[in-house]
Amino acid sequence: MNKIPVIIDCDPGTDDTMALILANKIENFDLLAVTTVAGNVICDYTFQNARNVLSYIGAEHVPVYKGAAKPMMRELKTAPHVHGVDGLAGVELPQSSAPVETEAAWDAIYRIAKEQNGELVLIAVGPMTNVALALTKYNDLPKYIKRIVIMGGAAIGGNVTPAAEFNIYVDPEAAELMFTSGIPIVMCGLDVTMKAYLTDAEIERIGSMGSKEAKLFHDVEQKALGFYRTLGMNYVAAHDPTAVLFASDDSIFTGEEAGVHVETKGKLTLGKTVTDLYSDAQFDDHFVFIVTDVDRDAFVKKVTQLMESYS
Amino acid sequence: MNRIPIILDGDPGHDDAMAWTLANASDELEILAVTSCCGNQTIEKTTYNTMRICTLLGLHVPTAKGRPRPLVSAPIIAPTVHGESGLDGPKLPEPDFELVPMTAIELMEKVIRESDEPVTLVPTGPLTNVAGLLLAHPELKSKIRQISLMGGGVQYGNWTPAAEFNILVDPEAAEIVFSSGIPIIMAGLDVTEKAMIFPEDFERIRAVGNPVAKVVAEWLEFFYQFHRSMGYEGAPVHDAVAVAALIHPEIMEMKDLYVEVETEGDFCKGATVADFRGVLGKAPNAKVIMGIDRKAFADLLVEAVKHYGEAEK
Repeated sequence: MNKIPVIIDCDPGTDDTMALILANKIENFDLLAVTTVAGNVICDYTFQNARNVLSYIGAEHVPVYKGAAKPMMRELKTAPHVHGVDGLAGVELPQSSAPVETEAAWDAIYRIAKEQNGELVLIAVGPMTNVALALTKYNDLPKYIKRIVIMGGAAIGGNVTPAAEFNIYVDPEAAELMFTSGIPIVMCGLDVTMKAYLTDAEIERIGSMGSKEAKLFHDVEQKALGFYRTLGMNYVAAHDPTAVLFASDDSIFTGEEAGVHVETKGKLTLGKTVTDLYSDAQFDDHFVFIVTDVDRDAFVKKVTQLMESYS
Repeated sequence: MNRIPIILDGDPGHDDAMAWTLANASDELEILAVTSCCGNQTIEKTTYNTMRICTLLGLHVPTAKGRPRPLVSAPIIAPTVHGESGLDGPKLPEPDFELVPMTAIELMEKVIRESDEPVTLVPTGPLTNVAGLLLAHPELKSKIRQISLMGGGVQYGNWTPAAEFNILVDPEAAEIVFSSGIPIIMAGLDVTEKAMIFPEDFERIRAVGNPVAKVVAEWLEFFYQFHRSMGYEGAPVHDAVAVAALIHPEIMEMKDLYVEVETEGDFCKGATVADFRGVLGKAPNAKVIMGIDRKAFADLLVEAVKHYGEAEK
């Protein structure tokens, strides 16, 4: 089987952790590296968490590169109400004994992209700071990246403000830089991720599968579930896993090509991903595929199968 | 039956004209005044169009000219949609009456003050006049029952990807209106792009045969030409939804949402921002119309033109 060379850029983060656990078992992935960025929690934690999670799930061989400590030009905003202060919602993991990589995330992304001759798929599920810095430093990076699959944004609505989704809101300039780079981008935003949810019962079922990875998958989501319960929901959106599963197999998703820009100036709309999906007025370029829907039963089945493959 | 007292404020405009045709034909509405605003065309042109429409419809109520430009933003006009006159297409009668010697805001103030019942405002252009009224006369807010407006879109725009024309032209005015505390019915693009009149409906209207019916059919033809070039199957008669919402809300789906207006930004100026997920935890300030029974809406327009008399021999 031809495997897809993949780098995951993330800010673990509870749903990032789910995404890493799933990605490790996706058969058509060749997971070459994980890069970390400040977002859900500060960058020291996201780096440690990525290392420790990979080590815990038997993927210690995947190198982790540390990235940006803060957004391009703004103060960092974090999301401890969902991810805890430590990013794993209080779940404690043993320290990874893997060697500590010293190459910066953006340098690693560029180096690996070149090595893969244009086949690399970058899955970015945190703020887009590392991606933007790689694009800023290396002018020819776009020709070495096949596509970027992101979790971020929303054609309609927001979650951190009425108009903006968290990953884009944290570093809107970085996101705009990425969206205007010319690289084909798949946007798994709230439009689809809020439909790619796992219920309390589904997560319980995974938690009782017996493997330590399945228990971790279950445990990191308990704080998020508690948060969602305050919103009257007995389920949790599997935001970051959506991007990972899309990159592996897009057949259970639907969407449309569109132009996207990020608002970096608005008073109410800072960080909004402005799409021309439904509007008469169109942007000049249409580099983005906006994922709008998922076959949730098929999604849950895939997640369940991947988790069953840990034993 | 008690009629609902309303003031029509618009920038005609083909769809304003049809909104007013519908309002004037309804037994449930009582039009107290008509005011013009700038938007689709300059205030001179929209005012002249206002007078020609009222003359055609036999609508003789106090009519006044609005503020010549948005509150603070630079004017934008839409000749690609409505033509150079702002109401291109069929020949219309010359005005057979005079404007009242007042500004639109003065006329609104007078009419609202004198009304026994709270008045409903029906703005179908930029919200300049309405915002001006609310700023100059906050004491009259309790005498405004609601504002049923055409403007915005909580999911997307038309003049820019994020903004709809009426709100984009005067976003500051729109923000003043949305934050006024007065109940708002919002007929935005979410519904108005579904309020489509198809070519076969034009023929039903033309077949009614009276002079108004003939003009409305030609307005629709003109309006459709532009929209067909954009890939539409019919003419979305945006503004008429704001009127229809008062007389036939049962043919629509509405959602209570908290809506604010973006007045800044590179891409989002003029966007109506709705809090779909309750992030702000604020009480809804608008009934946002999300859907409509298209066929029932088309029938409404056909029935309305019948009000203007028998077929000419």
